[in-house]
Amino acid sequence: MTTVLIVIVLLVVIVVVAGALAVVVYNRLVTSRNAVDNAWSQIDVQLRRRHELIPNLVETVKGYAAHERQTLDSVTAARAAAVSATGPAEQAAAENQLTGALRSLFAVAEAYPQLQAGRNFSELQAELGETENRIAYSRQYYNDAVLTYNNACQTVPTNIVAGIAGFRTRDYFTAPDAERGPVQVRF
Amino acid sequence: MSVALALLGVLIAGGAWFALLTVVMAASRTPPVRPGPATGALGPESPAIVDLVTGGWELCDEAASATLLDLAARRVIGIEEIGPELSLVRLGRGDPPALAPYEKLVLDHVRTLATADGVVATGALAEGARNLGSWWKSFTKAVIAEARAAGLSRPRWSAAQRTLLLGAAVVPAAVVGIAAAVWLTKPDDGPIGPFAGGAVLAFAGLSALVGKLDRERGTQAGADAAGRWLGVREHLAGARFAEAPAASVTIWGRPLAYAAALGLAGRAVAGLPVSTPADDSRAWSDRGGMWHVVHVDYRGPGPWGRFFWGRSPLHTVGRLALAAIPSWGFAFLLGILARALLDSPFPPEAVGFVGLVLVVAVPLVNLLLDAAGRSTVEGQVVRLRTKVRKQNDSSTTYDHYVGLDTGAARGVHAVGTDETRWNSLTEGDVVRATISGRIGWLHEVEILTPSRMRPTGPAAAPTPD
Repeated sequence: MTTVLIVIVLLVVIVVVAGALAVVVYNRLVTSRNAVDNAWSQIDVQLRRRHELIPNLVETVKGYAAHERQTLDSVTAARAAAVSATGPAEQAAAENQLTGALRSLFAVAEAYPQLQAGRNFSELQAELGETENRIAYSRQYYNDAVLTYNNACQTVPTNIVAGIAGFRTRDYFTAPDAERGPVQVRF
Repeated sequence: MSVALALLGVLIAGGAWFALLTVVMAASRTPPVRPGPATGALGPESPAIVDLVTGGWELCDEAASATLLDLAARRVIGIEEIGPELSLVRLGRGDPPALAPYEKLVLDHVRTLATADGVVATGALAEGARNLGSWWKSFTKAVIAEARAAGLSRPRWSAAQRTLLLGAAVVPAAVVGIAAAVWLTKPDDGPIGPFAGGAVLAFAGLSALVGKLDRERGTQAGADAAGRWLGVREHLAGARFAEAPAASVTIWGRPLAYAAALGLAGRAVAGLPVSTPADDSRAWSDRGGMWHVVHVDYRGPGPWGRFFWGRSPLHTVGRLALAAIPSWGFAFLLGILARALLDSPFPPEAVGFVGLVLVVAVPLVNLLLDAAGRSTVEGQVVRLRTKVRKQNDSSTTYDHYVGLDTGAARGVHAVGTDETRWNSLTEGDVVRATISGRIGWLHEVEILTPSRMRPTGPAAAPTPD
């Protein structure tokens, strides 16, 4: 009788301790996931700002270089794709394409000294440069949050709770190849 | 003259001088500050001046952060929040407007730290190779100069008061000299030596006291301004700025800067560590062009890292030898006890050998592997620190550590090096280093890109802790 009681007490203690640990781990996972969501919302804010700036930029360039239609159209199309993209992976691909299109646009703009000298254009260029810089920091912040969260989802013993509770790893927001390494965003 | 009479003279002369000092101090007090009615109308004084006049004419740490917030409110710089733990200070486009010297000091500090994009993480404001003590002194001096120019502050003593106190100090000093001559003169010597010694020492002590008490004090205009600002403080206290982050200055504007100066915006001030020493173990690095936190550990990895890390190979050999004897002895004793008490089948010599291997084997293998081949790494110096190794009455020996951010991880183990190499480095230098990575020792270092934070004058010399 005494032995049975000891076993029962031990089992209860084990279950209670395991339950408490599971709650702690679960809460940690929720906190990490919320940090990822928060970091993503910061990227989203900066991307929206970028998307808002582009139509003005296209209009300004059009005023001086209307016949560069192909470049202008590619920027507009890339922007539309970026606006409608969902999820980090798709968004990252679309944004990287938009970055490429913007580079072409600024390369074209270099052939028009009057456009370069225009205050509106230079202000937009500077504003876009700053926004790109904020996006780069937001991306770093997001990727750090994803790393912490994914590590929690994939390492023992938190992966057990993550598996049971349905926590899934998140995608990183990858930078275009040109921006890997020392980052200095310049258009 | 008897010694007792001389001592009585010292007491009377000294007492009279201290009575004079008390009278002069009472006459040179700051006029009483009467808090004005609560108001939201900000006056013409800058936040740093407000900090001075509302802080009993002593500048508090908040002044520098409040100045930075004020620069942000005036759009000289921008403060942007990227996330709860990351905000950026961004230099404004174009030339800044005319700034007060202390505002320029703060802006120059930000400029020194800024990357090519003109950005500094707010947490990184504590970084840099400046001598914080000198910097703070210059900042304080500039704020006081402006407060004096505005008629809000003045030195405690006027020229007449200082002359009076120092002139009067001659009397007790002379009496002390006489007392010393009476007391200390030996029959074969003249009284001049003890008299001069006692008098000079006493005069030096009283002069030092006069100098020490010569702090800033408020004028009537200063006291009025302080009272007005205490009224503003009462008004701002209702706005609940305590939890407002620094980046919220874009919403609140200058009131947040003044709230910081008035001690009401703790979170914003803590987020802008302009006048705070950098953390030893949490460094901000801009390796790769973007600011990020690097955690610096001054011990090596694993349980052995506490004892066998950051020392030269020769020193490590010495430590291994030192560790071998007690570890073998301790395990040997355990073996004897185990045999006596638990009837252990293992001979104590074998247990002693196991203990020796447990302690020494891993660091010994590390040492041998490092001797076989050193590694070369490139990285940015994020921390230069010294730790006291040995201290006695006559000398102190330091261990010198270098934290290198190679960009591979957000945590690094600072490696040890000798004093000469350590002295050649500045935080922020990008270097190529030859290291023994398993015992944490830096053998050679070549500076690839000197730090933009390198000191440019004697006031900016690096200060080991």
